[in-house]
Amino acid sequence: MNNIASTAMPGFSPVPAESVAWLGTAPVPAAPYYSPAYYELEREAVFRRSWLQLGHVSELPEPGSFIRREVEVLKASVLLVCGRDGQIRAFHNVCTHRGTQLVEAEAGRAGNFSCPYHRWSFSTDGRLLSAPDFESFGLTKEECALPAIALEICGGLIFVNFAPKISLREEMGPFADWLEKFPCAQATQFSEYVYEINGNWKLTYDNFQENYHLRFIHPRTGGAAVSDENPFGYPVKYGFHGPHRTQTIWSNPNVKPTPLQAISFGKGAQFAMADGLAGPHARDYLALFPNFFVIGTPAQSFSHTIWPLGPERSRGVIRLYWKGEDDCASRRFAREYALASARDIHAEDRAVIEAGQRGLSSGALKYVHFQVQEALCRHLFNNVNERVEAYKAELAGGAA
Amino acid sequence: MSALLPDGFAALEPFVARWAVPGTAARAARRGESSAEEREAFYGVAKDKLLPALAYLDGKKLEAFDAADNRLMDMMLSLAHVALAVEGLGDDEPRHAEMRRHMQITRSPAGV
Ligand code: FES
Ligand SMILES: [Fe+2]
Repeated sequence: MNNIASTAMPGFSPVPAESVAWLGTAPVPAAPYYSPAYYELEREAVFRRSWLQLGHVSELPEPGSFIRREVEVLKASVLLVCGRDGQIRAFHNVCTHRGTQLVEAEAGRAGNFSCPYHRWSFSTDGRLLSAPDFESFGLTKEECALPAIALEICGGLIFVNFAPKISLREEMGPFADWLEKFPCAQATQFSEYVYEINGNWKLTYDNFQENYHLRFIHPRTGGAAVSDENPFGYPVKYGFHGPHRTQTIWSNPNVKPTPLQAISFGKGAQFAMADGLAGPHARDYLALFPNFFVIGTPAQSFSHTIWPLGPERSRGVIRLYWKGEDDCASRRFAREYALASARDIHAEDRAVIEAGQRGLSSGALKYVHFQVQEALCRHLFNNVNERVEAYKAELAGGAA
Repeated sequence: MSALLPDGFAALEPFVARWAVPGTAARAARRGESSAEEREAFYGVAKDKLLPALAYLDGKKLEAFDAADNRLMDMMLSLAHVALAVEGLGDDEPRHAEMRRHMQITRSPAGV
């Protein structure tokens, strides 16, 4: 009799409190989620010194391809360029003569980069090629190369670090090889949507690392995530390595998709299978400190990067990764549906985060609270705060 | 004569003007500004045409689509957006449309 197998429900038990007790259980101060002073410290302590996800290799497909990315939190403009040797490099988008922003275009292809001011010209690997009347400077071209920024690629994703102490791969440990197996590693293109929000970057980010809110904020769009046995749709497990963290999303055995959802996700899953994208990462979420996470679900694999724009303002960039062109109508349909349905859910998140920020910014609260199943939020705060405290000590030491 | 859409899809012709919209962001915007009646009327007819339409269109390369094929494709892509409202959000759609306005689509393999 198959009866037993077909009716047996896998039981669900949430991650026990003991396993995340090492993160602490105390209330967390509220000021870091709105204070301008704290934000100023974070800029140096966190963002200047961390690996930041700035792009995907598919954006730089051939020698000469470039993209310009503004990193507002560091007041930096970054040029990512694929050199003649096929190597992707990052530079400050700053002419070494007198600082003019070199490239204005958001993306394109170039043989070299010529400064609009006095026409210093740089190669795609950052060397100064020529400068009018250069003899009058008494400089060598070598000392005038574009300032490079450390760059590493993992899982097809491009990361930069303005003041690296440790390589990305070393910092990621076991997560590095694992990320190489995510769909983004094989992606050749992506869909993207972007939002700005009146929300601190941590408050915004935290929304996406707890499931406690799902049933309340996504009652109609997120029904698949909750059920009687797991009413909050909590994850199956959490994992940590240094400042980075993972969760394994619970698979609801009782999902009832709507008719078009069934068609679209069915097709998406078929394509993912055929493309070799289905795999053990399918329910995995990987968060890389400070502001990036990616979800492996093959038919709707997406990343989300949250850029601070100020103590109470951020920008979210969401990308859904695709392998191969739209080679047929069904694939195009499945991708359109995947984008539209993810965007519906994220729109709901954005609205409630802003409400949270309004409350926090009033200064009414000294503390906020994280429960056991908000462990990832606590882990982010702990890691940010550790760095901010260390940086404060560094500043105090320097002043003494 | 049915020049607007490929043979077999005449039932969708009344919806061409409103829903054969090129571009993912434009389709999302059209959903956002549409009325519940418009969405339900379109969904009611189009939902059963989705699989036949995809089966027909899958028989061709996207580059080989003629104008009628492109209209049919764009309508089915609009249906993806509309179905999220009709099947999912129901009467929450107007409030939701306001929240969605902030989520700007900047890239899509189907063209923005
Ligand atoms: S500032 Fe660029 S050439 Fe002078
Ligand atoms: Fe959410």
